[in-house]
Amino acid sequence: MILPTSAKLTSPADLESLVRRYQQDNSSVAKCVRVCVGTGCAAKGSRKLYELFCEAAEQSDADVTIEAKCVGCHGFCERGPIVVVEPGEVLYQRVEEPDVAEIFRETVLGGRIVERLLYEDPATGKKASEAAEIPFYRVQQRIVLAGNGRIDPTRITEYIADGGYGALAKAISSMTPEEVIDHVEIAGLRGRGGGGFLTARKWRSCREAKGATKYVICNGDEGDPGAFMDRSIMEGNPHSVIEGMLIGAYAIGSKQGYIYVRNEYPLAVEHLKMAISQARDIGLLGEKILGSSFSFDIKINRGGGAFVCGESTALMASLEGRPGEPRAKYVHTVESGFRGKPTNLNNVETWANVPHIINRGGEWFAGTGTEKSKGTKVFSLVGNVVNTGLVEVPMGITLRRIIEEIGGGVPDGKSFKAVQTGGPSGGCIPAEHLDVRVDFDELTKLGSMMGSGGMIVMDEDTCMVRVAHYFTEFLQKESCGKCTPCREGLAQMLHILNRIITGEGEVGDVEELGTLAELLEGTALCALGKTAANPIISTIRYFRDEYDAHILDRHCPAKQCKGLFLYEIDAEACKACGICLKNCPVDAITGEKKVPHVINQDKCTLCGTCWDTCPFSAILKV
Amino acid sequence: MRNMLGYVPLLRNLEGVEGDNQVPTVTIDGKKVRVKKNATVLDAAKRAGIWIPTLCYHPSVSSEASCRLCMVELDRGEWRQLVTACNYPVRRDIVVYAYSEAAVRARRGVMELLLARAPESEELKALAAKMGIERTSYPTVTESQRSCILCGLCVSVCEQMIGQAAIGFAGRGVQRTVAAPFRLPAEDCIGCGACAAVCPVGTIKIRMHPDSNEIEISPFKSRFKLRLCEQCNSPIVSEKVAANALGKLDANNEELREILRLCPSCRSLRTAGQLAAMPGYDQE
Repeated sequence: MILPTSAKLTSPADLESLVRRYQQDNSSVAKCVRVCVGTGCAAKGSRKLYELFCEAAEQSDADVTIEAKCVGCHGFCERGPIVVVEPGEVLYQRVEEPDVAEIFRETVLGGRIVERLLYEDPATGKKASEAAEIPFYRVQQRIVLAGNGRIDPTRITEYIADGGYGALAKAISSMTPEEVIDHVEIAGLRGRGGGGFLTARKWRSCREAKGATKYVICNGDEGDPGAFMDRSIMEGNPHSVIEGMLIGAYAIGSKQGYIYVRNEYPLAVEHLKMAISQARDIGLLGEKILGSSFSFDIKINRGGGAFVCGESTALMASLEGRPGEPRAKYVHTVESGFRGKPTNLNNVETWANVPHIINRGGEWFAGTGTEKSKGTKVFSLVGNVVNTGLVEVPMGITLRRIIEEIGGGVPDGKSFKAVQTGGPSGGCIPAEHLDVRVDFDELTKLGSMMGSGGMIVMDEDTCMVRVAHYFTEFLQKESCGKCTPCREGLAQMLHILNRIITGEGEVGDVEELGTLAELLEGTALCALGKTAANPIISTIRYFRDEYDAHILDRHCPAKQCKGLFLYEIDAEACKACGICLKNCPVDAITGEKKVPHVINQDKCTLCGTCWDTCPFSAILKV
Repeated sequence: MRNMLGYVPLLRNLEGVEGDNQVPTVTIDGKKVRVKKNATVLDAAKRAGIWIPTLCYHPSVSSEASCRLCMVELDRGEWRQLVTACNYPVRRDIVVYAYSEAAVRARRGVMELLLARAPESEELKALAAKMGIERTSYPTVTESQRSCILCGLCVSVCEQMIGQAAIGFAGRGVQRTVAAPFRLPAEDCIGCGACAAVCPVGTIKIRMHPDSNEIEISPFKSRFKLRLCEQCNSPIVSEKVAANALGKLDANNEELREILRLCPSCRSLRTAGQLAAMPGYDQE
């Protein structure tokens, strides 16, 4: 329901009475169906489910108020679309259109559970009726993502009824800007965008920088392959980002903020736009917020999708209307950033953490995590893992628990090989280090990094040289080309990697890659270039034998690089059907009826047609 | 900081701790020089007589530090950091190593990458030789437009000094090139040739076409009629440069306008004639 919010709020007391009103209104809703319309679920048709539930609620002649609402990403994307029914928090997974009527009849009206739509633990076969019982959620600690899956991101009333903007009211009515920064400092919050710089230190430098005009920026230019943490926060709980920015602006002394969000995130843009306009309507953005002397407003800037625009100086250049290219940071952006003014830039997740810190205090926040990495971190868990999705875990948890307990391990009985963290600037961590704790410094020690939260799990069939090649190619395409080492160096590295994966590697190539990696790290202009070699360095560090196999033996141990492994026919599995024989373009396969076929290796061009066409999986890669 | 007599020495500003009047000391390869606050390490190196190779640096335009050739090592106490000398601002006393092993290795690496990109450029080879680099160990894997190393000086000078911004960067990464919009003859080009003058690798050339009295800025395809000297008929500048310059002049200053219609040698002859005609000139 959309409640009229006629007047602007002119004091913290106004906000409190609004919270009470909304909570009362909400309490009249007896039953509620929450449909996830996060990107993953929406792609599986959850929008239609939402419409069907709305229709059902409207047509229902029950004597209680029934509401259907769309909510942001629940995180359990693997099992989407997710539908949760209140009361009881009954979680249904992989819901399809025909299930709507049954859920409505049985659970919403009848209070009974539809067993077949519950999550079943593959290990125990036990059904879980609510999120807390599912291993995927049990290990998580959701602070930033707490509102996701519960509130409708398109209605400010929901956020306010949930206590939203209370931190802002608290900050501007009872805390000085310095006290706000002190709390963030005690919390030990570090930048969630990848760098891990202390947020309070950044804020303080910006506050102390000379100049009356200061800017705050939210970096929503999430671009790591496979990452969707910030996207889900912006889509699922945009007000938490806005509130964080408001508090930061108050602490720093800024009147204008910008959210730089990539245009490929249309839903994030839409929800942020709605959120900003709703906040403005009731006076939470604009002049004299809550009757104080603090004024602040936010503009949205849509990015064109260049990866490098996630780099702060490139982002600011883009925001100024210039090409998104970085500049040297010898003078920090907190002194001279956007339009040459002191500018404080934080990532989406960093901002979204701020209201929680103010609400519950820095000590509370610092109670979670390790010595130097506090709070929680959101990861997008993807790749060869059973439970793909968005997870929020306390810092200090081991990678093993994330991948095995939350992620459910590697599917199809295959074994784990490595996990790539930190996106293209990060590195691959092998099985022997799975017990490392998730912590900015620990991951860096292993040659990877926290990054913004991409986590790609890879199984035994993954060729690590190809992984390095993939990220190098990605970065080479995304390099802006401004500086020599990044533009030319990445091209040289890609050239070498191309040779290695096509069987033309030479002795000394690995050393050459090492030399180039060192050159990039030392001389590139921005962090994109300086860290670009990390995927290569970390794969060499942990999987040197695979490089050597490619170069010395002309063999790809994971059998992914075409031409670097042979095809053979498993005589026992072969049914002598003749399909491979017929399809082989170079007549390299011989065999007769009832006699297992054989590949003539001298003739075979390693094209893989036999492997693709064999109905009995009798073709082996060796 | 008072001396024995009790008054503050005049040098106070030079050693002060506040304001932009400070003169920090840069110790570069053991040599101490003092520079104004916010001067660059390159300024300090010049003052110390220490040569650091540069390509994308030009004193007339802002330093983009894109070529990365001027890497030096900055002493951070516990560790050392490679920085670009051309734009690292000196804000306090610092210690820099221009010829440490890491700095030399970094500059060599960058130069070898550039040589791989533009193996034909004589200017680049000469600079490399001056650095003691005879060849590159890398193959040529990126395509350059006539040895262009994308230092960006031409783009900067056109925008910042000439005020035309006729050329800019197009494309990203290895596809990056310097070009006029749509790779057509640039509408905003006035044929001044400043880009060619600053180009460190000989990519941009001024071509004169005496048959048609035109100047061409190659490879940007822009061609302009040349203004001829009213006295000796030799070409002076492009008509557009002349129009541009005249447009900036006080409209009534006919004398200046007249001067601009002459080539430099005729102009100096004219000035000499005027001087000679001045009363009392021959008494000197």
